[in-house]
Amino acid sequence: MRQKLRNAELRLGLLVVLITTSGYLLVQLADKPKLPSDLWLFLGVVIALYGAAHFAVRRLAPNANPVLLPLAAFLNGIGFVVISRLDRDLARNQAAWTAAGVAAFIITLALVRRIRTLERYRYTFLFIGIIAVLLPLVPKLGKEINGARLWVGIGPLNFQPGEAAKVLLVIFFAAYLVDKRELLASGTRKFGRLILPDPKHLGPLLLVWGISILIMVRQKDLGSALLFFTVFSTMLYIATDRVSYLVIGGVLFIGGATIAYQLFDHVQTRVSTWIDPWPVADGKGFQIVQSMFAFGTGGLSGTGLGLGNPQQIPNAATDFVFSAVGEELGLIGAVAVLSAILLLVGSSFNIAIKTPRPFSKLFAGGLATILGVQSFIIIAGTTRVIPLTGITLPFVSYGGSSLVANFVILALLMRISDDTARAAAEQPSRTAHALPQ
Amino acid sequence: MVVLILICVAQLTYLQIINAGHLANDPRNTRAALRDINRPRGPILSADGVVLARSVPSKDNTEFKYQREYPEGGLFAQVVGYQSFVFGNTGVESTYNDALVGREADLQLDNLSDLVSGSNGTGTVVLSLRVDVQREAAAALGLQRGSVVVLDLTTGEVVAMYSTPTYDPNPLAGHNSLEVQKAYKALNDDPNKPNLSRAFRELYAPGSTFKSVTAAVAIDESVATPAEPVYPTLSQLDLPQTDSVLRNFGGKECGGNLAESLRQSCNTTFGQIGLDLGDKFVGGMRKFGIGVIPPFDVAPGAIASIGPAAGSFDLNQPLFAFAGIGQGDVATTPLQMALAAAGIGNGGVIMKPHVGAEIKNSKGKVVRRIANEPWRTATSATTAQAVNTMMTDVVEQGTGTAAKITGVRVAGKTGTAQADGGPPHAWFIAFAPADAPRYAVSVIVERGGSLGSEATGGRVAAPIAARVLKVALNK
Repeated sequence: MRQKLRNAELRLGLLVVLITTSGYLLVQLADKPKLPSDLWLFLGVVIALYGAAHFAVRRLAPNANPVLLPLAAFLNGIGFVVISRLDRDLARNQAAWTAAGVAAFIITLALVRRIRTLERYRYTFLFIGIIAVLLPLVPKLGKEINGARLWVGIGPLNFQPGEAAKVLLVIFFAAYLVDKRELLASGTRKFGRLILPDPKHLGPLLLVWGISILIMVRQKDLGSALLFFTVFSTMLYIATDRVSYLVIGGVLFIGGATIAYQLFDHVQTRVSTWIDPWPVADGKGFQIVQSMFAFGTGGLSGTGLGLGNPQQIPNAATDFVFSAVGEELGLIGAVAVLSAILLLVGSSFNIAIKTPRPFSKLFAGGLATILGVQSFIIIAGTTRVIPLTGITLPFVSYGGSSLVANFVILALLMRISDDTARAAAEQPSRTAHALPQ
Repeated sequence: MVVLILICVAQLTYLQIINAGHLANDPRNTRAALRDINRPRGPILSADGVVLARSVPSKDNTEFKYQREYPEGGLFAQVVGYQSFVFGNTGVESTYNDALVGREADLQLDNLSDLVSGSNGTGTVVLSLRVDVQREAAAALGLQRGSVVVLDLTTGEVVAMYSTPTYDPNPLAGHNSLEVQKAYKALNDDPNKPNLSRAFRELYAPGSTFKSVTAAVAIDESVATPAEPVYPTLSQLDLPQTDSVLRNFGGKECGGNLAESLRQSCNTTFGQIGLDLGDKFVGGMRKFGIGVIPPFDVAPGAIASIGPAAGSFDLNQPLFAFAGIGQGDVATTPLQMALAAAGIGNGGVIMKPHVGAEIKNSKGKVVRRIANEPWRTATSATTAQAVNTMMTDVVEQGTGTAAKITGVRVAGKTGTAQADGGPPHAWFIAFAPADAPRYAVSVIVERGGSLGSEATGGRVAAPIAARVLKVALNK
């Protein structure tokens, strides 16, 4: 059984290697009509990276879900190809960060042998998580880049501790909610058809709301604030099965967003350029208009890799990487990426559904929500479905902290699915519903 | 989650399929220009083989592989245009862009069959403009502000098209975005508007040159023949519906039949014909192309010339009298007046104007000729011949004697057009040889040029027309 799973993962991986290498080749051919000298090196590195991750899974989590790693690798590969087409220096960094991400993936699988060990250190994680969120606000240590203060610089290295914080805080919340969900689910006040929980149990929700507002105000990072808040509201809902938490969450979010809209110019700009970017197409709406031009120029099948002009969009490699995909690979490529994201998020929720342990269920659900919400925020932002908020597209965008954090999330999800399958194998009588496919 | 993704897919479909053409062609989307900037690009040549635009390997240390050059500078700028990575392409560089980069179907088919022989895929655009005629036009205009248009009236090919002031397109094709923007801004802020292609994008009252059109419409509509009726000899024409009058040039008396009136450029006669034609005048002008945008292969295209509104005669009859002498509501481009002369010279048929002659592949083989097609039938052939005879008379013994060329009979019409805020514009339209017409020409010197208020079309514009016709006819 486990052999079958891993062989599927290997075959899908070969497909990803093929797609990534062809993409890289096309990008290079568009620049110069001869085979790039580093093609074999590139192929070797891609195989080595995927191989390392794959064989680590074979050893460390042999029963894990077989589609997560190929899907993440596909997104990562497409992202790298597009970044290499935009900026060679960034591509070199991204390659190094991908290696670091794979290393983080293997280390996570090696260190976290049982997911419940994480449950024990919940307050440690909470503590580190809050520090990580606040770190960029420390004078001298924190750095403001592109108008958002979410960076910490140590020597030549810049990283976003918020990326680590989101994983750490999800661990804490999963553990906390496992303990408190009975209380949170027992409604004491009826409000029309809604059953509201006792106000004293709303503490954690309000705490996260406060953290989100703080991020928004002090770090000017709308995307992360929205992400934090949505993830924790969703986790509360998963834990308690009470729609009232989604409603309260929604109300709090709308309240926070309204206040932010009135207080901050940059929020008003985001909203006005979302409603109608055309009058300011040369100014504040430049980015979103260029993004729409990119999609329009791409059309159904795209300009072809290396043959469009996605570098016209500011921040094409990070926030707007999806627009670059849309321009050069067209609607077909953009939908392929969307499908991969949907499958990745869907498989992650599937892991959450299948695992019998409450902590694992909540934890996997939280991680799946991170991937899903983060993808939606940025894709919907660049396509002008919602106001633009800068955030990375998981695995695709350029960005070291984000890439490493996403590989850690991937490892944790695979660990949970491996736990589930292994438990099912050890106790065959109880687990008819939890067999891996 | 699935719903949210589906919303994104729906929006993507809207952006990439439904609204894609609109977004891709938005002028603020410079991708089309950028896409081509690093492709090899064929040259633009004059009919006599002079390089008007070419791409050479870029020597500055920028990401750009080629530098576009315009060796003739301002001489052809308003036709050839420029290729700018900041502002996109204009002129022939825009209209024939697909041919220049080799994207045109004819070139691609040709390249398929030529794969082995290694043509580089770009196209060469050969224009119908001749450098010798163009240079003569520039020399004849000198520093005076105005335009010269020379057409091959049998084909519609533009032989010369020049207007002053002009500009050097080379800075706009530069690779430094800030410098290009500076050059562009300087051009736009110049009150003399050197980047305005006056020849096909500026309207002027055509003045008495328009009497050739009025005469043709009158004959076509059977309001007059060259001999009949005999119009009264007057110094001014009383206008209906008003107290004002239409005066002859210099207040002198004139009249007689159509031929005599055209020879002396008699305002009172043509004012009366405008009144006699009434609403039929509008339809007659339209046959000449007034009120219609002429098809023209120089981006951003020619603008339409204008005249009185259809059915407006009863509302404002004096405007029709003024229209008869090319004043009032009539305003034309120099190109339109060249087309009117061309139609009369070509038996009533106006050919579609175009500057492109043929597209060649990089090895010099012609892959496509730009078609010569009729555009409008302005008059019947007999009317055209009658007006031809009368216009020949104008040059032989009328107001246009300055346009005479030894050994060639020239048909022409002078114009001295009143314009608000200064001296009149000096005009001349002509075609030659009158007995076997080949070239039509239109000349305007704004505000009378160096002669100012002393200028007339006969003194200032007619000699310029003669100079360019002489070169065009190799006389």
